[in-house]
Amino acid sequence: MAVEKVDLTRVKPYGDTLNDGMMQTSFTLPIPYNDESKEAARLLAKKMGLEDPEVVHYADLGVGYTFFVVYGKCQHTIDYTKIEVPKVEVDSMDKYGVEDYIKENIKRDITIIGACTGTDAHTVGIDAIMNMKGFDGHYGLERYKGIEAINMGSQVPNEELVAKAIELDADAILVSQIVTQKNVHIPNLTELVELLEAEGLRDKIVLVCGGPRLSHELAKELGYDAGFGTGSFANDVASFIVTEIVERDLV
Amino acid sequence: MELIGLIHQKYKIVSIIGMAKNAGKTVALNRIIEDAYDRDINLGITSTGRDGERTDVLTNTEKPAIYASDGNIIATTTGSIDRSDATIEIIEITKYRSPMGNIVLGRVIDGGYIEIAGPQTIKEMKDISDRILELGAELVLVDGSLNRIAVADPTITEGAVLATGAVLSRSMDRVIEETLHKKTLLGLPEIEENLKEKLDGTKDICIIDESYNINKLDIKTSLNSGKIIADNIDETSKYIFIPGSLVTKTLKDITESSKLYKDVTIVVPDGTKVFIGPKDWLKFMKRGVKVKVINTINVVAITLNPYSPLGYYFNPEDFREKMSSYIKDLPVFDVMM
Repeated sequence: MAVEKVDLTRVKPYGDTLNDGMMQTSFTLPIPYNDESKEAARLLAKKMGLEDPEVVHYADLGVGYTFFVVYGKCQHTIDYTKIEVPKVEVDSMDKYGVEDYIKENIKRDITIIGACTGTDAHTVGIDAIMNMKGFDGHYGLERYKGIEAINMGSQVPNEELVAKAIELDADAILVSQIVTQKNVHIPNLTELVELLEAEGLRDKIVLVCGGPRLSHELAKELGYDAGFGTGSFANDVASFIVTEIVERDLV
Repeated sequence: MELIGLIHQKYKIVSIIGMAKNAGKTVALNRIIEDAYDRDINLGITSTGRDGERTDVLTNTEKPAIYASDGNIIATTTGSIDRSDATIEIIEITKYRSPMGNIVLGRVIDGGYIEIAGPQTIKEMKDISDRILELGAELVLVDGSLNRIAVADPTITEGAVLATGAVLSRSMDRVIEETLHKKTLLGLPEIEENLKEKLDGTKDICIIDESYNINKLDIKTSLNSGKIIADNIDETSKYIFIPGSLVTKTLKDITESSKLYKDVTIVVPDGTKVFIGPKDWLKFMKRGVKVKVINTINVVAITLNPYSPLGYYFNPEDFREKMSSYIKDLPVFDVMM
């Protein structure tokens, strides 16, 4: 078995043979399709640390932009044995546990408003948490007894979301956001916190964000009470919200 | 001149707020910490975000470490205490919660690098800062996070250092425009004392006439209510008091729904409540909109970071000179020099 020969303390990309380091990268450069741009792509890959880079494909994207696929040999290795990924630890209840908890400890229905805010139109995440049918065998918040779940959909301006929260006297706000590589969504996430502070609501509401690049560490910086990444389900989010309502005396 | 000289003995709780991430807040904080150490000022240190961790959660860039000296009082999270190499005596685990654990008050017994991560809301921050003072700190520094400025509310922190930098834009003019705008909002002029007394403790949106008669409107927020506010203005109205946020749409609705908007002054608690960008703001000002505040924010200095982690930088001298030529009433520091 090939696996036996792998040195886990020095893992390298695999192309045709073990440890050849071969990798493929693709990118677009804002320059026209010609020999010069092809060379530019090769030089860029070289600067990135790829040995013997080779442009194996390139295509004119029009408007003076060109797309490249480059092969090259990676010189770096990773010690796989030393990797530790902090896993978010939430003592999650299941749907029925959450419902019982609300009945016993909060003794009233709670209102949770969810939205993809700003320019974000990716509703997959918020729908998975909110929609009745849920996701991967976990029912969404709309199906929970004791939870009034309102999904405002996509591209909701922060001020609309806050106005809705005030109108409905919401207990929690759930924001779904794709934090992109360029971090353009960060100011949108912080603006919501600042608006809630300005409206004097921040202390009265449980504020949760979720999305592929969100974590509790980032939530701390953003000013949210929690940040849920991929692999979180409605019951994880609901467990957090209901316990937080009780712990923070927001009952 | 040193930053600490502008703060010490004038203010007890000072925030360091930024125009953006990587604007140089933590570097400015470190400058104040060093200077305070030289002057033997016992500090309290906390943060609205998280500081002193080795690498940034978003950009993976290295972040400046924060050194706390013996005697300093810090507010951080249970999780951050473990990652600090200073020896910290835990005074109290507070009830305030954060995604990284409850907020802890501690005293540094043996100086070293620390990770600080304070409370999540501004009310909690005020309470924690007061506790730090009670525990013996002479000056509390509250480091901001990302572009969050709510903590500069003068009822929370008494003075603010505003950090700005090349990260905002590749265009220096744009950076200056945005910074000037922020400074304008933070420094909005205060209303007269008589009106302040009248409005003391008011939580409602209201219209005030020349004789200071207050007409409370039955709306919970100004958001989406610009038209209702405008409908309640008449010839005798002199002020509109909005205890919460003032966003572009509200102001637009007011100016479009009533011709009398020029005769009234809009009053908000302070500049952190205004959510209007530079271009819209200028348009409103040209149309004769007047905005005042109950409390002006005491911006003590503006700090510059001419480097952007996106891989470009401004000539530090040019940047400082140009910024200073626009901001004459405040000291401008390049914290990277």
